[in-house]
Amino acid sequence: MTSSVTGFSVEQDEEAIVIIGSGAGGGTLAYELTRKGLPVVVLEAGPYLTHDDYVNNEWESFNQMAWLDPRTTSGSWRIARDFPNLPAWIVKAVGGTTTHWSGATPRFKAHEFKTRSVYGRVEGANLLDWPIGIEDLAPYYDRAEKAMGSTHVHGRPPLPANNNYKVFANGAEKAGYKFYATGPYATNAEEYDGRPASIQDGFNFQGDKNKSKWSILVREMPRAEQTGLLDLRPNSQAVQITHNAEGQVDAVLYLDKEGNLHRQAAKLVCLAANSIETPRLLLLSGTPRFPDGLANSSGQVGRNYMRHLTGTVWGYFDKPVRMYRGETMAGVICDESVHDPDRGFAGGYYMETISLGPAFMAAFVEPGAWGPDFTKLLDSYTNTAGMWIVGEDMPQESNRVTLNTTVKDENGLPVPNVHYDDHPNDVAMREHAYAAGEKVYQAVDAVGTHRTPPYPSTHNLGTARMSERPEDGVVDRWGRTHDVPNLFISDGSVFTTGAAANPTLTIVALAIRQADYIAEQLKTQQI
Amino acid sequence: MVFPAKYPSLNAMEMTEDARQTLIRVLRVAFPHEKIPDAPYERTADKILAEAQSETWFRVALTQGLLSLNQLAGGDFRDLDDDAALRVLRRVEGTEFFGFVRRTTVLNLYDDDEVWEVLGYEGASFDRGGYITRGFNDLDWLPEPRVDYPEGEQMPEIAPGALEVPQPAAEEASAADSTNQPGATSSDMEEVKK
Repeated sequence: MTSSVTGFSVEQDEEAIVIIGSGAGGGTLAYELTRKGLPVVVLEAGPYLTHDDYVNNEWESFNQMAWLDPRTTSGSWRIARDFPNLPAWIVKAVGGTTTHWSGATPRFKAHEFKTRSVYGRVEGANLLDWPIGIEDLAPYYDRAEKAMGSTHVHGRPPLPANNNYKVFANGAEKAGYKFYATGPYATNAEEYDGRPASIQDGFNFQGDKNKSKWSILVREMPRAEQTGLLDLRPNSQAVQITHNAEGQVDAVLYLDKEGNLHRQAAKLVCLAANSIETPRLLLLSGTPRFPDGLANSSGQVGRNYMRHLTGTVWGYFDKPVRMYRGETMAGVICDESVHDPDRGFAGGYYMETISLGPAFMAAFVEPGAWGPDFTKLLDSYTNTAGMWIVGEDMPQESNRVTLNTTVKDENGLPVPNVHYDDHPNDVAMREHAYAAGEKVYQAVDAVGTHRTPPYPSTHNLGTARMSERPEDGVVDRWGRTHDVPNLFISDGSVFTTGAAANPTLTIVALAIRQADYIAEQLKTQQI
Repeated sequence: MVFPAKYPSLNAMEMTEDARQTLIRVLRVAFPHEKIPDAPYERTADKILAEAQSETWFRVALTQGLLSLNQLAGGDFRDLDDDAALRVLRRVEGTEFFGFVRRTTVLNLYDDDEVWEVLGYEGASFDRGGYITRGFNDLDWLPEPRVDYPEGEQMPEIAPGALEVPQPAAEEASAADSTNQPGATSSDMEEVKK
């Protein structure tokens, strides 16, 4: 079926505002537009899971919500070896990856919008300044933080110190770091906005049954539904965006659960399918008028794929830590997020607490490993503390999402291939970050440490980047494609560069800003 | 593709109880945990056998792989001590057979209540009210840290002086100037002559 699950529905031949994807970008946009009185149709590829459906089990949850459609990988990144068919760890369900996300909400720093100017010329990197700056986004950051209930700002109290944080923070202090704290995280330390305080259950990546963590599913989706203007269609996978003779988009073709093809007429399309599916859909929508894919006159669609530095450092102690008790992530060290080229690389990184259960630990701690050295890592589970490294990676034109025409998905469509090579700057930064993480744990007498390579990418960015000039990128400062005036991109694909910060807050801020712009443009009939 | 093997026994297609016991021994040697009892290893072995039943190629690879362990052991693999058995497994590490066993074990052995208990993990917690009153902050061998940023201090965003020096390129120039990064690709100063 194709029908809406909300009690409000739009006719398929009625030209609608169609949003593809219901995650941080699409879900925010849906709420912001409906609350301004604009009806929208949201096409979500995944099912409508609720908090009752979520389970406190890592693999069961993973199989319930992860995007497991076939994908391929290439390039020298370790993911291509360790997880060749799982380049990204993202969610296919209503609410998108906000159901899985950890909740960290740092802002971009001012200079992170101007990396080409500030970092200078970095060989092999395709750096470009964003066409907007912190001054454009600051008011929207405020709105996003209030919507999401970020701790440490706007009067929201910090999360309490859990076991993992106690090790992390004491280590940070002794290692000489100063700017560490338990946030900002969009998880309630106390009741806020109708959501309860965290019960520290530790199943944050599995959807957070307690609803203490902000996600599209706890806030934007129900509120959009309440406006009576949301037509939400789960299990509806967009496969093509079509256009008319004037080069404006006029419909979205999508498949329902049974594989039947439908057409929803559109006056405006907002594409927010995450940075792998968004370029895939643009490439699948190529026509004689747009031979290289829709909105791809620049040739930049799918290029400059970024996924953040990432890496994990585990510290092993001779006393119990029990890191799994409490919020999965609830601690940040910011000192290394500065831009300081004296360290041998451009840009910066954050250290953030992380915890995995034994099931994920076994799968990810050292992919491919076995034997006594491997089992020792698991035997130390109770005494383990963990931190994740998230830092800016360099955009490179050759890191890109393309269509793999030799591998088809169940609908017969070419799957996306994700090619990625680490840039020398990424390698230098990761090495520095691993060493810094080890230093933190050694400062509180770790008996051992272990470096875990990157997980499948949770931060997928940059494949339809924002640029001042049409030849440098895919969308303008509002996320509107340079080539097609009624086609917008509303997810992390628009990131010109990735910054060190976890991206969700910025995706939400950009979506709120875009919604204001779209509403204004519709009102003055400029779309 | 299935090749006829040199040893007739390697052409066996069905799993025997001996083969199952060998598999359990393989798991014990490849994933040694002193404190984990036999039951989780047996469950994992049965899981591997069940997975193998659903894929002909896995079943063949597994059957032949287990038999070849005996060939490499020069007798019954199960009679080898831990060190000798580990050495045999290292020799088959790169095979399809071992990769299948390793992957399936990693995914299943550690997704097991009994194993969690030994490792000190408490499993599902939401139904028990999370850990808010059950020790989420019971670590007592380190001082209580602060949870907020130092008051009145602004974190620097750019290191002092970072903007005042020429920016180093992370790698030597190779390509020509791109539209996005215009500028000289080589130094203006050429050879110096006297």
